[in-house]
Amino acid sequence: MKQFYTAVTDLRRRVTGGFTTFPYEAGWADEATYFVTIEESSAGALGVQLAVQISADGIRWHDEGTTMTVAPDSAEFVRLTHFGGFLRLAGSMESADGGPDASAVVTVRLALKG
Amino acid sequence: MTSTSLLTLPGQFSPLPRILVADDFDLGMNGWMDLRPNFVDEGFAAHSRELDFESWGSVMLSSATFPFSGTHGSASGTYSLRLATRSEAAGATERPASGSMSLAIKRLSRPPRATRLKVEALIAYTTEQDRPGLGVDAMRAFGLFVDLQDGEHRYMPGVRYVNAVDGARVRRWQYYTATAASASEWNYGQPGWHQPGVDPQWFGERHADGSTAATAWFEGRPQQLIYNETDDKINWMPLAMEVDLVARTYTSFSAGDQEYSFPPESRPTLAPTYDNIGGLVNPVFFVETDGDRRVSLYLDSVVVSYATTDDDRAEESR
Repeated sequence: MKQFYTAVTDLRRRVTGGFTTFPYEAGWADEATYFVTIEESSAGALGVQLAVQISADGIRWHDEGTTMTVAPDSAEFVRLTHFGGFLRLAGSMESADGGPDASAVVTVRLALKG
Repeated sequence: MTSTSLLTLPGQFSPLPRILVADDFDLGMNGWMDLRPNFVDEGFAAHSRELDFESWGSVMLSSATFPFSGTHGSASGTYSLRLATRSEAAGATERPASGSMSLAIKRLSRPPRATRLKVEALIAYTTEQDRPGLGVDAMRAFGLFVDLQDGEHRYMPGVRYVNAVDGARVRRWQYYTATAASASEWNYGQPGWHQPGVDPQWFGERHADGSTAATAWFEGRPQQLIYNETDDKINWMPLAMEVDLVARTYTSFSAGDQEYSFPPESRPTLAPTYDNIGGLVNPVFFVETDGDRRVSLYLDSVVVSYATTDDDRAEESR
């Protein structure tokens, strides 16, 4: 039987501007699904842009090519394969006025199987 | 990943007569998971808010892969259980900062007639190789404890290796002792859900030398565990703690090739029982960073064993 594990890598974390999620080792897994939930968005917050990143060592990161946009008070997911050993998301808070003050609470769940 | 074999215990392990669990992380997470709070308040909020209990680094299956040396693998096989912090720490006398720790817990229960419990692991630790040099002093501490409850008390025997405090080398082991702190003193000035002595990895006054309101140092010289000469070489070392479940005292502790002895009657705080957790046996491993670098503790494997009244009687008659 395959292994399965869901890691809640970032739980109810308030983010502003640019941020990255907790780096996670997943070399054992054949497939990964990132579930992202956005709550408690501040006034003017349009949502969060996220890009999947992979790494050979957990330190130097590359954009994997998959992206997602999560609107305020909503949730999205992306499905991944062939991601090597390390995964994280690079995010940025989008705001109506382009200013740095917009914020939201982000929860990231990484479901792994292999 | 598929399960291919049962764990055969390497010679570094010396379990009590009965194996409760023997977890080889080549076979998966084996029920080890993040230690998180109780999400029982309005909106699923955590029950305690003295600290940020929601941002500790998540535990993971690791191949111990590094930038220049590649994959280290584990003591037996490829995977170990990795506890990794985020890159932020509070000063030695402050409460733990958000994300400064990572904790792995497994939730078990007490078998019939159990008299002694032993937790063993092969461990390795390192600082993230994100800058040149040697990061050996970037780690504050790591350790293990067991959350136990019997018919009368909840108590948490444990040991902690204080590696460095605010950048100064310590390299000494301490163990959890009884605290005389009030609930408010224990919970950073708030009444708190935590009885004095419960969760000593977070609570109780912290001191500049790395001690806390509920720790005592082992006698003897500091112990320099193997860190190796660069942040990407790790060595697997045995760790073993045994407790007497009847007397609620420590029996033995060893780290690497060093054996430590406890003063007579040494025990952690005996707190009142909590609801719904009678017979709880929850081993917990943890790691703490000392500064702005991520540090990791690797476990491969973990063996929890026990002895019963029958075993003790057989031993006596031998």
